[in-house]
Amino acid sequence: MYVPLEFYQFIAQNKSIFRVLYSVIIAFICLIIVLKTDKLFRISSHQGIRYFRNAFFFYGIAFLLRALLISPIYSSLTKMAFEFFMIMAGFFLFYSLLWKRLETKKDTSSLLNPKIIMLYALTLILIVLDYLWGGYNFMFISQIILFLLASVISYNNYQTKGKEHKFLKLYFGVMVLNFVAWLANFIFANFLGGRLRWLANIYILNVIIFLIFLYGVNKFTKKKKVIDKEDK
Amino acid sequence: MAKKRERLEVIKDIIMAIRENRNIKPTRLLYASNLSPQMFKEYINELITKQFINLDIDDKEKKTFSLAQKGNAFLEEYRTIEDFIENFGL
Repeated sequence: MYVPLEFYQFIAQNKSIFRVLYSVIIAFICLIIVLKTDKLFRISSHQGIRYFRNAFFFYGIAFLLRALLISPIYSSLTKMAFEFFMIMAGFFLFYSLLWKRLETKKDTSSLLNPKIIMLYALTLILIVLDYLWGGYNFMFISQIILFLLASVISYNNYQTKGKEHKFLKLYFGVMVLNFVAWLANFIFANFLGGRLRWLANIYILNVIIFLIFLYGVNKFTKKKKVIDKEDK
Repeated sequence: MAKKRERLEVIKDIIMAIRENRNIKPTRLLYASNLSPQMFKEYINELITKQFINLDIDDKEKKTFSLAQKGNAFLEEYRTIEDFIENFGL
């Protein structure tokens, strides 16, 4: 896709505004996803929907904190909080695909069950490592691995049930895009710092990813026909 | 061999049976649900805890199940929930 150079120059001149706008747009998309999936969870009490909802709740907070990172009230605590919510959001999204194979007891809390507490601990370790080394490399690497695994699981889901449920193909695609976005983030942060064209493309890619999630949530939370006796 | 029912489908079948019979006795519901007594007990306890169904006991200590508001809402949204779970692989 051809993007005129003037577009990147325009972004360069208004970098801070675009960064805040980008974060707020994604946080808003997350808010819509959380509200729609929360309604579905309250009716079904389904753990998978619950973890999926948690993921976007955490993404929403992470992107709001991200908007603060370039403001005058920035502090290392804001950076750590941003990293915590961002990593945990990825873990929740990944766990929403895995919970069926791991959880045995019903009714476990989605925020404080033993497996999630282990993920909190892992997240805190990654944050401390990033703090000691400087930058976000441990977060990037964890998310690259996470979305690589999520792509494999999604591909398996698509292979087994893709004919009946068409969105599984797009969901696999969005997991691959997530993997690509985190990989691009890692490359940009370590080797291409300052190249605005790369950064702008990563932003565009991220907005596309969240819009695909929103599209799916919108499509599948629309009320269907009520089941009758004939459906039995 | 018949395909094993998903958890959500079992819940739907139990709630459907209660809705069709209004106040249904435990034994009849056990037959209608097509579950083992142990599994039936687990599902029923979960549905009562989550307030999908009510356990009513009359003066003669006879037990019947009736549909709660949340159970009715679940049935109305069942297709949406099922579609969502399947299409996102949750």
